[in-house]
Amino acid sequence: MRRRTATTIATLGVVALLAGCGSSTPAASNKDPNKPLEVWTRSTEATAKVYEKIFKSFTDRTGVKVDYKPIYNDFDKQVQQRAASKDLPDVVITDTGSLGNFVKQGWTTEIKRDDLAGGGDIVDRAWNNGKGADGKYYGVPFSTQAMVTLIRKDWREKLHKPIPTTWEELDDLARAFTRDDPDGNGQNDTYGMLVPGTVDRGYLAWWAASYIWQGGGDILEEEGGGKFSVGIDSPESTKAIERLRKLFCEDKVMQPGSLTLSTNDAHPLFESGKSGIYLTGPYMIGRFDKSLGKDKYEVIASPRGPAGATVLGEGEDVYLMAGSAKTADQKKLAEYLITPEVQQAGMQGDPQPVVRLPVNKNVDVNATYNDPRWATVAGVYSSESRPFPSVPNFTPFRQKTSETLNSIFAKCPADSSAELKSLADALKKELENQKASQ
Amino acid sequence: MTAVQQHSDTRDVGSTASGGGAVETHPVRRRRRRRLTGATFTPWLFLLPAALIFLVFKFIPMAEGIRLSLFEVRPFLGDIFVGFKNYATILQDEKFLTASWHTLVLAGGQTLGAMLIGFLLALLLEGHSKSLWFVRSAVFLPVVAATAVIGEIWRLFFYPAPEGFLNDLISWVGLGPWEYISNPDTSLVSVMFVGIWKNAPYDMVLILAGLAGIDRQQYEAAAIDGASTRQRIWNVTLPALRPVITILLTLAAIRGLRVFTEVYVLTGGGPAGSTDVWMTRVYTTAFEQSEAGLASAGSVLLFLVTLVLTVSVQVYRRRKEAR
Amino acid sequence: MSVNSSRFDSAIGWSTRPDAWLSKGVRALLSVFAVILFCGPLLVIFSGAFDNNPDPTQLSVIPDKPSLINFQVATENKIWHYLANSLVIAGGALLLQLSVSVFAAYALARKKFRGQAIALLVILATMMLPEEVIAIPLSLVIGDLPLVHVSLKGTLLGVILPLGAWGFSIFVMTEFMREIPAELEEAAKVDGAGELRLFAQIILPLCRPALGVIAVFGFNMIWEQYLLPLIVAADPSDYTLTVALLALRSDDQVGTGIVLAGALLALVPSLVVYLSLQKSFLRGITTGAIKG
Repeated sequence: MRRRTATTIATLGVVALLAGCGSSTPAASNKDPNKPLEVWTRSTEATAKVYEKIFKSFTDRTGVKVDYKPIYNDFDKQVQQRAASKDLPDVVITDTGSLGNFVKQGWTTEIKRDDLAGGGDIVDRAWNNGKGADGKYYGVPFSTQAMVTLIRKDWREKLHKPIPTTWEELDDLARAFTRDDPDGNGQNDTYGMLVPGTVDRGYLAWWAASYIWQGGGDILEEEGGGKFSVGIDSPESTKAIERLRKLFCEDKVMQPGSLTLSTNDAHPLFESGKSGIYLTGPYMIGRFDKSLGKDKYEVIASPRGPAGATVLGEGEDVYLMAGSAKTADQKKLAEYLITPEVQQAGMQGDPQPVVRLPVNKNVDVNATYNDPRWATVAGVYSSESRPFPSVPNFTPFRQKTSETLNSIFAKCPADSSAELKSLADALKKELENQKASQ
Repeated sequence: MTAVQQHSDTRDVGSTASGGGAVETHPVRRRRRRRLTGATFTPWLFLLPAALIFLVFKFIPMAEGIRLSLFEVRPFLGDIFVGFKNYATILQDEKFLTASWHTLVLAGGQTLGAMLIGFLLALLLEGHSKSLWFVRSAVFLPVVAATAVIGEIWRLFFYPAPEGFLNDLISWVGLGPWEYISNPDTSLVSVMFVGIWKNAPYDMVLILAGLAGIDRQQYEAAAIDGASTRQRIWNVTLPALRPVITILLTLAAIRGLRVFTEVYVLTGGGPAGSTDVWMTRVYTTAFEQSEAGLASAGSVLLFLVTLVLTVSVQVYRRRKEAR
Repeated sequence: MSVNSSRFDSAIGWSTRPDAWLSKGVRALLSVFAVILFCGPLLVIFSGAFDNNPDPTQLSVIPDKPSLINFQVATENKIWHYLANSLVIAGGALLLQLSVSVFAAYALARKKFRGQAIALLVILATMMLPEEVIAIPLSLVIGDLPLVHVSLKGTLLGVILPLGAWGFSIFVMTEFMREIPAELEEAAKVDGAGELRLFAQIILPLCRPALGVIAVFGFNMIWEQYLLPLIVAADPSDYTLTVALLALRSDDQVGTGIVLAGALLALVPSLVVYLSLQKSFLRGITTGAIKG
C-alpha cells in the first residue's frame, strides 16, 4: 500500500512539474489575427541585425508588429516541422530554389503580380525567380545575384596573361596557374580552378551548369507549356562536359580534392592562395576583400563558350505562407520589402548586405555600392544569367547530375557517353514522375 | 505477473562472476514470502522512470515515424498512403545496395580496428600514476571533440597533393603521395582510418573500466603457476573482459551501421559514390525528394537490420553463457 | 616469494620498481607516440582558434598570426550564451540520466523476472532508430505531451527530459552490475538489509567504474545533441553550443578560425568531466569483500 501511495505522489509531482515548467499547448500562432506577423529569414547573426532594422522600420511605418526569427540551422527542416503542426510562419524569406518544394507541399500562397503595389517596378528577369512551374507566381523577388568568375589578379599579372574572355583563354590561364608558379615561391603548389565538386546537395551540378549552358547544352531542355525533355546527353552538353573532364583528368588543372569540397570548404582554398580561378556567387566579395584583399583578385564576367557566357542567376524570395490569418499584413510586408528605400538599406546592410542585386529597377546599383565590381555583377545578371529549369522540383535533377559528373571526373573514363546516357534515362524517369515530360 | 511467478522472482541471481568465485544459490528462506507482493512490483518500479521517458519520447515518435514510412508525406496537404512503395523504391535503388555494402565494410573495419587499438591502449595505460592519468586524458581528446570538427581537420590532413600534411609526413619514410579521400579506391579506407582513430579511445575507456574489475589475485595466481604475460592475458584478462567486449560489439553494431556525420563531413558520400553509406543515401534521398516518407522507410530498414544483428549477438552470448 | 605484487596492478604487468628502466622506457616511448597520434591532430583546433585567418593546408602547432580575433567574433555571435545553455542542459540531463539508468540497470541485472530479456532488447532498440526519422513526430509530441497536454517548447525541461533515459547507459550499467557476485547480496540480506539499503549501500558503490564511464559518455552524448535542442527551441536564443557551432560551420561568411574557436570552447567541458571522473573508473573492486 505504501508503495502505491508513493507512486501516486511521484506521478502527481511529475505532472505538476511539467505543468509548471511547460505551458499549455498554445493554439497555432499563424491563425490568430492579433498575434504579430511571424517572419523567418535564412540568416546568421550578422544578417539578422540588418533584417531587424528593416522590420522595425516596417512596424514604425505601418503599425504592424513583427515577430522576427532568424534561422540558420536546417532551415527547410524547421519549416517542415512547423508545417507538420499546421502552424507555418506568416512570411518566409529564403532562396529561390525552395520555391518548387514549397509549392509542391502547398506551403506558399499564390502571388498576384498585378495586385502587388510596386510590382511593376520589379525587373521581369527577377519576377522569373518567383514563377512556379505552372506559370503562376508564388514568391515575391527580394534579392538577386549571378555567378561571377574570380581570378587572382596578382598571379595573372605576374604571368603576363590577359583577362580571359573565351574558354580557351580561361583554360590556358588555368594551366599557367598550375604549371608556372604564379606565386613565385618556387614550389609546385598552386592550381588553376577551384571547384566545389561534392555531390552533397548537388553542388557540382550547381557549379557546372553555367559551363553546360555556355556550351549550348542544358540539363533539361524547355519544350514549352511546362514540359521538358532531357538535354544532358545532347552533343552540346556532352562536349561541354568533355571539356571539364579533360581539365580534371588530363590537364589536371583543378584544385586537388575538389570532388569532395563543399562551397564552405572551398572558400579558404581561394583565400589562402591554393587556386587562382573560382566561379562562385558575388556574396563572397565581402569576405574575400577582408581575407585576401581587394587588390589581389578581380571579378569578371564568365569567359564565353561556344554558345555564350550564360551563368546561373539565383536569389531570394519573400514567400507568403499558407494558413495565415493575416493576409493583408503579409502583402504589406512584401510591398514594403520591394520599395527602393528598403532595397537600398538591404544592400548597404551593416555588417553584411541582405540584398545583393536589387529587384526594383529604380535602384541605382552603381550609386548604392560605388564599386565597379558590382556593376559587373549587375551587368552579368541582366544580360547573361538564367535560373535552373522551372520544373516542379529541380533538386533531384541537380543531385543526380552531380553524382554522374562526380563519377566522370573522378574515374576519368575514356568515353563518358555511357554514363551520360544512363543519367539521361534516370532524368527522363524523374521528369515523368513530376509529370513534366514532353 | 501470476501468483506462480512470484516464487522465482524473489531469488536474486547474479550471473557467473568473472573474477570472483563460484555462485551459490541459497534456498529460499521462509522469511521472504512476506515480501512477495512488494517484490513482484519492484523490478518494474525500478524500470518505470526509464520506461516512461522512452515511451513518450522514443516509442511514440518511433511508431509515428514507422507509420509515416508507409505514406508519401505532405504535412500540409495531407499524407497519401502508399503502402510499401517507399521500401520498394529503396531496395531497388542500386545506389542503396552499394551503400549497404560500404556500410558493412566500414562498420566492421572500424569496430575491429577500434577494439584492437583500444585494447592495446588500455593495456599500455593501465595504472594509477599521475603521468598515466595525463596520457589517458590526452589520448581521450578525439572522443570529446565534435565529430564535424574532427572531420574537417582530417580532411585537411588528407590534402591529396604532395604538399599536404600527411603526404609530407609519409614522404619521410619514402611513401606516397597518396590521394586518400579524393580517390575512389582509397576513400573508404581513409574514412575507416578516421573512424578507428576517433573510436579507439572510446573503446579504451570501457576496457579500462573492465580491466579495473579484474581480481588481482588471479594475476598473482597465474604468475605463481608460471604463466607468461601473453598466457595471462589470454587466459585471465580476455575472458574477464567478455562483458565489456559484448558491450563494445553490440554498440559497434548499432553505432557503426548508423554512421553518418563522419562520412558526410569528410567526403559527402563521394567521390563517385565510393563512400556512400546507408544514412548518407537516406539523407540524399530526403534532400532530393524533400519528402519524409522515403527517408523514414530507409531509416526503418536500417533499424530492422540493426535489430536483427543485435538480437543475434545477444542470443549468441546467451547460448555461450548457458554452456 | 620476491614477486613484486604491484606488478599485478595492470594486465600486462608493467613493473613499478624504481630501477625497471627498460619497462619504463618502452612504456614512455609508446605513450608519447600515442599522445602524438591522438592528441596531435587536435592541436590544430587549438592553434587554429588563436590564429587570424588560418591557412587550411598549412597546419602547425603554433598559430601563424596569433590573435584573439576569432573569440571576439564568436562572442559577437553570442557563443557564451549558447555555452551557458549547453552547460545547464548537460548538468540537468546528466543527473537525470544517471539516476534513471542506475535504477533501470538494477532491475535488469539483479532481478530475475519475466520479460527481462525483452526489456533489455527493447532498450537497445531505442538506440537503433536514426534520430532524423523521429524528428518531426518528436517535435509534435514535445509541443503537446500526451495526456497532460503541456507544451515543452522553448523550455530547458523539453531538452532535459527526453535525454533522461539512454539505452547505452542502461546497457553498460546492466553489464557491470551483473558482474557483482550474488554472494555479496546474500550476505547483506542475511544481515537484514532492506531493498533500498541493499541498493544504495552495497550495489551502488561497487558500480563506481561503470558510473564513471556512463557519466563521461552520457555527458558527451548530451553535449553533442543537435536535433533535439533544434526541435525544442522556440527561438534561436534557445540553441545550445553544438547547434550554434554547426550553424557557424555552414555560414560561408565565417572563416574556419571562428568555427575552431567555438569548437575549442565546446571541447573544454567534456574534457573537464573526463578528467574528474577518470579516477572513478579505475577504482577496482576490493578483493576483500568476496572472501568470507
